[in-house]
Amino acid sequence: MDDSKGGSSNAVHISSEQVQRFCEFLYRRTGMSFAESKRYFIDRRLEDRIAATGSSSFQEYFSLLRTDADQEIEHLINSFTVNETYFYREEHQLRCMTESLLDAMVSQKEPGATLRIWSIPCSTGEEPYSIALWLMENWPQVDNYNIEIVGSDIDTRALKAAAEGVYGDRALMRLSRDIIGRYFGPVTGGNRQIDEGLRNSIAFTRANLIDSEDMMQYRDFDLIFCRNVLIYFDDASRRLAAENLYDCLRPGGYICLGHSESMSRISPLFRVSRFPAAIVYQRPEADHG
Amino acid sequence: MADSATPAKAKVLVVDDSSLVRLYYRSVLETAGFEVKQAINGIEAMEKVLSEPFDLVIVDVNMPRMDGFTFLRSLRSATADVATLPALMISTEAGEQDLAEARMAGANFYLVKPVAEAELVRHVCVLTGVAL
Repeated sequence: MDDSKGGSSNAVHISSEQVQRFCEFLYRRTGMSFAESKRYFIDRRLEDRIAATGSSSFQEYFSLLRTDADQEIEHLINSFTVNETYFYREEHQLRCMTESLLDAMVSQKEPGATLRIWSIPCSTGEEPYSIALWLMENWPQVDNYNIEIVGSDIDTRALKAAAEGVYGDRALMRLSRDIIGRYFGPVTGGNRQIDEGLRNSIAFTRANLIDSEDMMQYRDFDLIFCRNVLIYFDDASRRLAAENLYDCLRPGGYICLGHSESMSRISPLFRVSRFPAAIVYQRPEADHG
Repeated sequence: MADSATPAKAKVLVVDDSSLVRLYYRSVLETAGFEVKQAINGIEAMEKVLSEPFDLVIVDVNMPRMDGFTFLRSLRSATADVATLPALMISTEAGEQDLAEARMAGANFYLVKPVAEAELVRHVCVLTGVAL
Protein backbone atom coordinates (compact mmCIF):
# COMPACT_ATOMS: atom_id res chain seq x y z
CA MET A 1 0.00 0.00 0.00
CA ASP A 2 2.55 2.59 1.09
CA ASP A 3 5.13 0.55 -0.75
CA SER A 4 5.24 3.20 -3.45
CA LYS A 5 7.67 5.35 -1.49
CA GLY A 6 11.42 4.84 -1.57
CA GLY A 7 13.27 2.88 1.09
CA SER A 8 15.20 4.61 3.85
CA SER A 9 18.47 6.19 2.81
CA ASN A 10 20.57 4.15 5.22
CA ALA A 11 19.27 0.83 3.87
CA VAL A 12 21.99 -1.59 2.77
CA HIS A 13 22.41 -2.18 -0.92
CA ILE A 14 21.08 -5.49 -2.24
CA SER A 15 22.06 -6.56 -5.74
CA SER A 16 19.83 -8.46 -8.17
CA GLU A 17 21.99 -11.55 -7.80
CA GLN A 18 21.60 -11.40 -4.04
CA VAL A 19 17.84 -11.06 -4.30
CA GLN A 20 17.75 -14.03 -6.64
CA ARG A 21 19.88 -16.07 -4.25
CA PHE A 22 17.63 -15.06 -1.40
CA CYS A 23 14.46 -15.95 -3.34
CA GLU A 24 15.85 -19.38 -4.17
CA PHE A 25 16.64 -19.95 -0.52
CA LEU A 26 13.19 -18.75 0.54
CA TYR A 27 11.54 -20.98 -2.02
CA ARG A 28 13.51 -24.05 -0.94
CA ARG A 29 12.75 -23.50 2.73
CA THR A 30 9.14 -22.36 2.56
CA GLY A 31 7.71 -22.94 -0.88
CA MET A 32 7.06 -19.20 -1.17
CA SER A 33 8.00 -17.88 -4.57
CA PHE A 34 8.08 -14.30 -5.77
CA ALA A 35 8.25 -13.05 -9.33
CA GLU A 36 10.63 -10.29 -10.42
CA SER A 37 7.64 -7.93 -10.36
CA LYS A 38 7.59 -8.33 -6.57
CA ARG A 39 11.15 -7.11 -6.28
CA TYR A 40 10.16 -4.02 -4.35
CA PHE A 41 8.09 -6.05 -1.87
CA ILE A 42 11.03 -8.39 -1.29
CA ASP A 43 13.56 -5.58 -0.93
CA ARG A 44 11.48 -3.80 1.67
CA ARG A 45 11.06 -6.87 3.84
CA LEU A 46 14.67 -7.89 3.44
CA GLU A 47 15.81 -4.42 4.44
CA ASP A 48 13.54 -4.58 7.48
CA ARG A 49 14.95 -7.91 8.59
CA ILE A 50 18.54 -6.83 7.95
CA ALA A 51 17.92 -3.78 10.15
CA ALA A 52 16.01 -5.77 12.80
CA THR A 53 18.84 -8.27 13.17
CA GLY A 54 21.52 -5.58 13.24
CA SER A 55 23.24 -7.06 10.20
CA SER A 56 25.59 -4.73 8.36
CA SER A 57 25.22 -6.35 4.93
CA PHE A 58 23.08 -8.72 2.95
CA GLN A 59 25.86 -11.30 3.21
CA GLU A 60 25.93 -11.09 6.98
CA TYR A 61 22.17 -11.40 7.17
CA PHE A 62 22.12 -14.30 4.72
CA SER A 63 24.61 -16.20 6.88
CA LEU A 64 22.38 -15.64 9.88
CA LEU A 65 19.42 -16.87 7.91
CA ARG A 66 21.15 -20.01 6.68
CA THR A 67 22.16 -21.02 10.18
CA ASP A 68 18.66 -20.10 11.42
CA ALA A 69 20.16 -18.20 14.34
CA ASP A 70 17.51 -16.77 16.70
CA GLN A 71 14.77 -18.46 14.64
CA GLU A 72 15.37 -15.92 11.91
CA ILE A 73 13.65 -18.07 9.28
CA GLU A 74 10.46 -17.86 11.31
CA HIS A 75 10.79 -14.09 11.65
CA LEU A 76 11.44 -13.78 7.96
CA ILE A 77 8.43 -15.93 7.07
CA ASN A 78 6.27 -13.85 9.36
CA SER A 79 7.36 -10.67 7.66
CA PHE A 80 6.38 -12.15 4.30
CA THR A 81 3.03 -13.56 5.38
CA VAL A 82 1.14 -10.62 6.78
CA ASN A 83 -2.20 -11.89 5.54
CA GLU A 84 -1.65 -15.56 5.54
CA THR A 85 -0.59 -18.07 8.08
CA TYR A 86 0.39 -21.69 8.26
CA PHE A 87 0.19 -24.71 10.53
CA TYR A 88 2.55 -24.89 13.53
CA ARG A 89 3.51 -21.23 13.16
CA GLU A 90 5.63 -20.08 16.11
CA GLU A 91 5.94 -23.63 17.25
CA HIS A 92 7.82 -22.64 20.41
CA GLN A 93 4.55 -21.27 21.83
CA LEU A 94 2.75 -24.53 21.12
CA ARG A 95 5.64 -26.29 22.83
CA CYS A 96 5.32 -23.91 25.77
CA MET A 97 1.62 -24.80 25.97
CA THR A 98 2.24 -28.55 26.31
CA GLU A 99 5.51 -28.36 28.25
CA SER A 100 4.50 -25.74 30.81
CA LEU A 101 1.19 -23.91 30.57
CA LEU A 102 -1.32 -26.75 30.54
CA ASP A 103 0.37 -28.63 33.35
CA ALA A 104 0.27 -25.47 35.45
CA MET A 105 -3.42 -25.05 34.66
CA VAL A 106 -4.56 -28.59 35.26
CA SER A 107 -2.75 -28.76 38.60
CA GLN A 108 -5.77 -26.78 39.83
CA LYS A 109 -8.39 -28.84 38.01
CA GLU A 110 -9.97 -32.23 38.53
CA PRO A 111 -9.51 -34.83 35.78
CA GLY A 112 -12.33 -34.52 33.29
CA ALA A 113 -12.63 -30.76 33.90
CA THR A 114 -13.02 -28.36 30.99
CA LEU A 115 -10.03 -26.53 29.50
CA ARG A 116 -10.93 -23.63 27.25
CA ILE A 117 -8.51 -22.43 24.60
CA TRP A 118 -9.19 -19.47 22.31
CA SER A 119 -7.55 -18.56 19.04
CA ILE A 120 -8.30 -14.94 18.14
CA PRO A 121 -7.95 -13.90 15.40
CA CYS A 122 -8.05 -17.39 13.94
CA SER A 123 -7.99 -16.25 10.30
CA THR A 124 -8.60 -19.28 8.06
CA GLY A 125 -8.24 -21.81 10.88
CA GLU A 126 -4.57 -22.81 10.77
CA GLU A 127 -3.96 -21.74 14.37
CA PRO A 128 -6.88 -23.44 16.18
CA TYR A 129 -6.36 -26.61 14.12
CA SER A 130 -2.65 -26.46 14.95
CA ILE A 131 -3.52 -26.26 18.64
CA ALA A 132 -5.75 -29.35 18.36
CA LEU A 133 -3.15 -31.29 16.36
CA TRP A 134 -0.33 -30.27 18.64
CA LEU A 135 -2.31 -31.35 21.71
CA MET A 136 -3.08 -34.77 20.25
CA GLU A 137 0.51 -35.27 19.19
CA ASN A 138 2.31 -33.81 22.19
CA TRP A 139 0.25 -33.63 25.37
CA PRO A 140 0.04 -36.95 27.24
CA GLN A 141 -3.02 -35.73 29.17
CA VAL A 142 -5.09 -34.89 26.09
CA ASP A 143 -7.75 -37.48 26.92
CA ASN A 144 -7.88 -36.55 30.61
CA TYR A 145 -9.61 -33.18 30.16
CA ASN A 146 -12.55 -31.86 28.23
CA ILE A 147 -10.74 -29.53 25.85
CA GLU A 148 -12.78 -26.84 24.14
CA ILE A 149 -11.12 -24.89 21.34
CA VAL A 150 -12.78 -21.78 19.97
CA GLY A 151 -11.54 -19.93 16.88
CA SER A 152 -12.78 -16.37 16.35
CA ASP A 153 -12.17 -13.73 13.74
CA ILE A 154 -13.74 -10.49 12.59
CA ASP A 155 -13.67 -11.68 8.97
CA THR A 156 -16.59 -13.98 8.19
CA ARG A 157 -15.03 -15.11 4.89
CA ALA A 158 -11.99 -16.28 6.82
CA LEU A 159 -14.29 -18.11 9.26
CA LYS A 160 -16.10 -19.85 6.41
CA ALA A 161 -12.76 -21.00 5.01
CA ALA A 162 -11.71 -22.12 8.49
CA ALA A 163 -14.82 -24.26 8.87
CA GLU A 164 -14.18 -25.83 5.45
CA GLY A 165 -10.57 -26.51 6.39
CA VAL A 166 -9.08 -26.78 2.91
CA TYR A 167 -5.39 -25.89 2.63
CA GLY A 168 -2.62 -25.73 0.06
CA ASP A 169 0.97 -26.89 0.40
CA ARG A 170 2.17 -23.59 1.78
CA ALA A 171 -0.11 -23.72 4.80
CA LEU A 172 1.03 -27.28 5.49
CA MET A 173 4.76 -26.73 4.94
CA ARG A 174 5.67 -27.16 8.61
CA LEU A 175 3.69 -30.38 9.15
CA SER A 176 5.30 -33.79 8.82
CA ARG A 177 4.14 -36.12 6.08
CA ASP A 178 2.89 -38.46 8.79
CA ILE A 179 0.61 -35.83 10.32
CA ILE A 180 -0.65 -34.73 6.92
CA GLY A 181 -1.37 -38.37 6.07
CA ARG A 182 -3.29 -38.97 9.27
CA TYR A 183 -5.34 -35.82 9.53
CA PHE A 184 -5.78 -34.49 5.97
CA GLY A 185 -7.46 -35.94 2.93
CA PRO A 186 -6.91 -34.94 -0.71
CA VAL A 187 -9.48 -32.70 -2.40
CA THR A 188 -9.62 -31.12 -5.85
CA GLY A 189 -6.95 -28.69 -7.02
CA GLY A 190 -4.09 -30.41 -5.22
CA ASN A 191 -5.31 -29.10 -1.86
CA ARG A 192 -6.02 -31.03 1.31
CA GLN A 193 -8.96 -30.91 3.67
CA ILE A 194 -8.53 -31.38 7.38
CA ASP A 195 -10.30 -34.33 9.00
CA GLU A 196 -14.03 -33.93 9.64
CA GLY A 197 -13.62 -34.84 13.30
CA LEU A 198 -11.13 -32.01 13.70
CA ARG A 199 -13.39 -29.59 11.88
CA ASN A 200 -16.20 -30.49 14.26
CA SER A 201 -13.99 -30.21 17.31
CA ILE A 202 -13.52 -26.45 16.95
CA ALA A 203 -16.22 -23.78 17.33
CA PHE A 204 -15.70 -20.95 14.84
CA THR A 205 -17.34 -17.66 15.80
CA ARG A 206 -17.20 -14.03 14.76
CA ALA A 207 -15.70 -11.64 17.31
CA ASN A 208 -14.21 -8.18 17.27
CA LEU A 209 -11.34 -7.68 19.72
CA ILE A 210 -12.04 -4.01 20.25
CA ASP A 211 -15.80 -4.36 20.69
CA SER A 212 -16.28 -4.81 24.44
CA GLU A 213 -19.89 -5.88 24.08
CA ASP A 214 -18.95 -8.49 21.52
CA MET A 215 -16.18 -9.76 23.76
CA MET A 216 -18.53 -10.14 26.75
CA GLN A 217 -19.79 -13.40 25.26
CA TYR A 218 -16.34 -14.88 25.70
CA ARG A 219 -15.38 -15.74 29.24
CA ASP A 220 -13.42 -18.23 31.34
CA PHE A 221 -10.70 -19.07 28.85
CA ASP A 222 -7.70 -20.83 30.33
CA LEU A 223 -5.45 -19.91 27.44
CA ILE A 224 -5.71 -17.36 24.63
CA PHE A 225 -3.59 -17.17 21.50
CA CYS A 226 -3.77 -13.62 20.16
CA ARG A 227 -0.87 -13.37 17.81
CA ASN A 228 0.25 -10.76 15.33
CA VAL A 229 -2.86 -8.61 15.43
CA LEU A 230 -2.20 -6.04 18.15
CA ILE A 231 0.73 -4.70 16.11
CA TYR A 232 -1.77 -3.41 13.57
CA PHE A 233 -3.75 -1.38 16.13
CA ASP A 234 -3.06 2.11 17.39
CA ASP A 235 -2.27 2.60 21.09
CA ALA A 236 -5.86 3.22 22.22
CA SER A 237 -7.28 0.19 20.39
CA ARG A 238 -4.43 -1.95 21.58
CA ARG A 239 -5.14 -1.06 25.18
CA LEU A 240 -8.85 -1.68 24.75
CA ALA A 241 -8.19 -5.06 23.14
CA ALA A 242 -5.85 -5.99 26.00
CA GLU A 243 -8.49 -5.07 28.59
CA ASN A 244 -11.10 -7.09 26.73
CA LEU A 245 -8.79 -10.08 26.53
CA TYR A 246 -8.07 -9.76 30.24
CA ASP A 247 -11.80 -10.10 30.98
CA CYS A 248 -12.05 -13.15 28.71
CA LEU A 249 -9.39 -15.01 30.68
CA ARG A 250 -10.15 -16.73 33.92
CA PRO A 251 -7.89 -15.59 36.80
CA GLY A 252 -4.59 -17.41 36.42
CA GLY A 253 -5.14 -17.90 32.68
CA TYR A 254 -2.45 -17.18 30.09
CA ILE A 255 -2.23 -15.27 26.83
CA CYS A 256 0.31 -15.83 24.05
CA LEU A 257 1.11 -12.89 21.76
CA GLY A 258 3.12 -12.79 18.54
CA HIS A 259 6.92 -12.89 18.65
CA SER A 260 7.30 -9.15 18.15
CA GLU A 261 4.56 -8.11 20.55
CA SER A 262 4.90 -7.27 24.23
CA MET A 263 1.95 -6.96 26.57
CA SER A 264 4.10 -5.04 29.04
CA ARG A 265 4.15 -2.13 26.61
CA ILE A 266 0.39 -2.27 26.16
CA SER A 267 -1.20 -2.84 29.54
CA PRO A 268 -0.09 -3.24 33.17
CA LEU A 269 -2.89 -5.75 33.86
CA PHE A 270 -0.89 -8.84 33.00
CA ARG A 271 2.07 -10.48 34.66
CA VAL A 272 5.01 -11.59 32.49
CA SER A 273 5.66 -15.35 32.75
CA ARG A 274 8.94 -16.65 31.37
CA PHE A 275 8.90 -20.31 30.49
CA PRO A 276 11.76 -22.23 28.83
CA ALA A 277 10.05 -22.24 25.44
CA ALA A 278 8.35 -18.84 25.40
CA ILE A 279 7.39 -15.66 27.20
CA VAL A 280 3.66 -15.47 27.86
CA TYR A 281 1.40 -13.22 29.91
CA GLN A 282 -0.79 -14.21 32.80
CA ARG A 283 -3.92 -12.73 34.30
CA PRO A 284 -3.00 -12.77 38.01
CA GLU A 285 -4.94 -15.22 40.22
CA ALA A 286 -6.26 -12.41 42.38
CA ASP A 287 -6.88 -8.86 41.24
CA HIS A 288 -5.09 -6.25 43.32
CA GLY A 289 -6.47 -2.76 43.50
CA MET B 1 -6.76 -62.05 -5.30
CA ALA B 2 -5.11 -59.50 -3.06
CA ASP B 3 -8.47 -58.63 -1.55
CA SER B 4 -9.28 -62.15 -0.42
CA ALA B 5 -5.74 -62.64 0.92
CA THR B 6 -5.74 -59.45 3.00
CA PRO B 7 -7.21 -60.09 6.45
CA ALA B 8 -9.95 -57.65 7.51
CA LYS B 9 -8.86 -55.11 10.10
CA ALA B 10 -10.23 -55.49 13.59
CA LYS B 11 -12.99 -52.92 14.05
CA VAL B 12 -13.20 -50.76 17.16
CA LEU B 13 -15.97 -48.39 18.25
CA VAL B 14 -14.75 -45.40 20.26
CA VAL B 15 -17.46 -43.83 22.45
CA ASP B 16 -16.61 -40.47 24.06
CA ASP B 17 -18.38 -37.11 24.13
CA SER B 18 -15.15 -35.20 23.48
CA SER B 19 -14.38 -35.00 19.77
CA LEU B 20 -10.71 -34.40 20.48
CA VAL B 21 -10.49 -37.52 22.63
CA ARG B 22 -12.26 -39.62 19.97
CA LEU B 23 -9.91 -38.23 17.38
CA TYR B 24 -6.84 -38.95 19.52
CA TYR B 25 -7.84 -42.58 20.13
CA ARG B 26 -8.82 -42.98 16.50
CA SER B 27 -5.50 -41.62 15.29
CA VAL B 28 -3.53 -43.91 17.61
CA LEU B 29 -5.57 -46.99 16.71
CA GLU B 30 -5.67 -46.36 12.95
CA THR B 31 -1.90 -45.96 12.98
CA ALA B 32 -1.73 -49.33 14.77
CA GLY B 33 -3.81 -50.91 12.00
CA PHE B 34 -7.35 -50.91 13.40
CA GLU B 35 -10.51 -49.71 11.72
CA VAL B 36 -12.19 -47.13 13.97
CA LYS B 37 -15.77 -45.87 14.17
CA GLN B 38 -17.02 -43.28 16.65
CA ALA B 39 -20.07 -42.46 18.76
CA ILE B 40 -20.67 -39.44 20.99
CA ASN B 41 -22.74 -41.11 23.73
CA GLY B 42 -24.28 -44.40 24.83
CA ILE B 43 -27.40 -44.00 22.71
CA GLU B 44 -25.45 -43.52 19.48
CA ALA B 45 -23.09 -46.34 20.48
CA MET B 46 -26.02 -48.72 21.04
CA GLU B 47 -27.41 -47.89 17.58
CA LYS B 48 -24.01 -48.59 16.04
CA VAL B 49 -23.34 -51.92 17.75
CA LEU B 50 -26.83 -53.13 16.81
CA SER B 51 -26.39 -52.22 13.14
CA GLU B 52 -22.85 -53.42 12.37
CA PRO B 53 -20.35 -55.90 13.84
CA PHE B 54 -17.45 -54.68 15.99
CA ASP B 55 -14.51 -56.46 17.61
CA LEU B 56 -14.27 -54.07 20.57
CA VAL B 57 -15.98 -51.07 22.08
CA ILE B 58 -13.99 -48.43 24.00
CA VAL B 59 -16.30 -46.43 26.21
CA ASP B 60 -15.96 -43.34 28.39
CA VAL B 61 -17.97 -43.09 31.64
CA ASN B 62 -19.26 -39.53 31.84
CA MET B 63 -21.27 -38.68 28.74
CA PRO B 64 -24.51 -36.74 28.23
CA ARG B 65 -27.80 -38.54 27.45
CA MET B 66 -26.49 -42.04 28.16
CA ASP B 67 -23.37 -42.63 30.26
CA GLY B 68 -20.90 -45.49 29.88
CA PHE B 69 -22.30 -47.65 32.69
CA THR B 70 -25.84 -47.49 31.30
CA PHE B 71 -24.52 -48.27 27.85
CA LEU B 72 -22.64 -51.33 29.10
CA ARG B 73 -25.70 -52.66 30.94
CA SER B 74 -27.79 -52.24 27.75
CA LEU B 75 -25.07 -53.93 25.72
CA ARG B 76 -24.88 -56.93 28.06
CA SER B 77 -28.65 -57.41 27.95
CA ALA B 78 -28.81 -57.36 24.13
CA THR B 79 -28.94 -60.48 21.93
CA ALA B 80 -26.03 -62.92 22.34
CA ASP B 81 -23.86 -61.85 19.38
CA VAL B 82 -23.93 -58.21 20.53
CA ALA B 83 -23.92 -58.91 24.29
CA THR B 84 -20.55 -60.68 24.10
CA LEU B 85 -18.75 -57.76 22.47
CA PRO B 86 -15.60 -57.03 24.50
CA ALA B 87 -15.66 -53.62 26.18
CA LEU B 88 -12.79 -51.46 27.40
CA MET B 89 -13.91 -48.73 29.74
CA ILE B 90 -11.72 -45.62 30.00
CA SER B 91 -12.45 -43.02 32.63
CA THR B 92 -10.99 -40.12 34.55
CA GLU B 93 -12.27 -41.75 37.75
CA ALA B 94 -9.62 -43.80 39.53
CA GLY B 95 -11.62 -44.92 42.60
CA GLU B 96 -12.23 -48.54 43.66
CA GLN B 97 -15.97 -47.96 43.49
CA ASP B 98 -15.80 -46.85 39.86
CA LEU B 99 -13.79 -49.91 38.97
CA ALA B 100 -16.30 -52.14 40.76
CA GLU B 101 -19.23 -50.48 39.02
CA ALA B 102 -17.51 -50.87 35.64
CA ARG B 103 -16.98 -54.56 36.30
CA MET B 104 -20.60 -55.01 37.41
CA ALA B 105 -21.87 -53.19 34.32
CA GLY B 106 -19.89 -55.58 32.13
CA ALA B 107 -16.55 -53.96 31.29
CA ASN B 108 -13.83 -56.46 30.36
CA PHE B 109 -11.10 -54.02 31.32
CA TYR B 110 -10.87 -50.59 32.91
CA LEU B 111 -8.23 -47.94 32.25
CA VAL B 112 -7.80 -44.59 33.98
CA LYS B 113 -7.13 -41.53 31.82
CA PRO B 114 -4.69 -40.29 30.66
CA VAL B 115 -3.97 -43.36 28.56
CA ALA B 116 -0.63 -43.38 26.74
CA GLU B 117 -0.55 -44.48 23.09
CA ALA B 118 1.39 -47.70 23.70
CA GLU B 119 -0.85 -48.63 26.63
CA LEU B 120 -3.98 -48.11 24.55
CA VAL B 121 -2.67 -50.15 21.64
CA ARG B 122 -1.53 -52.93 23.94
CA HIS B 123 -4.92 -53.33 25.63
CA VAL B 124 -6.84 -53.07 22.37
CA CYS B 125 -4.63 -55.76 20.85
CA VAL B 126 -5.21 -58.05 23.82
CA LEU B 127 -8.97 -57.51 23.84
CA THR B 128 -9.35 -57.99 20.07
CA GLY B 129 -6.95 -60.91 19.90
CA VAL B 130 -4.70 -59.08 17.44
CA ALA B 131 -1.01 -59.93 17.70
CA LEU B 132 1.02 -57.05 19.14
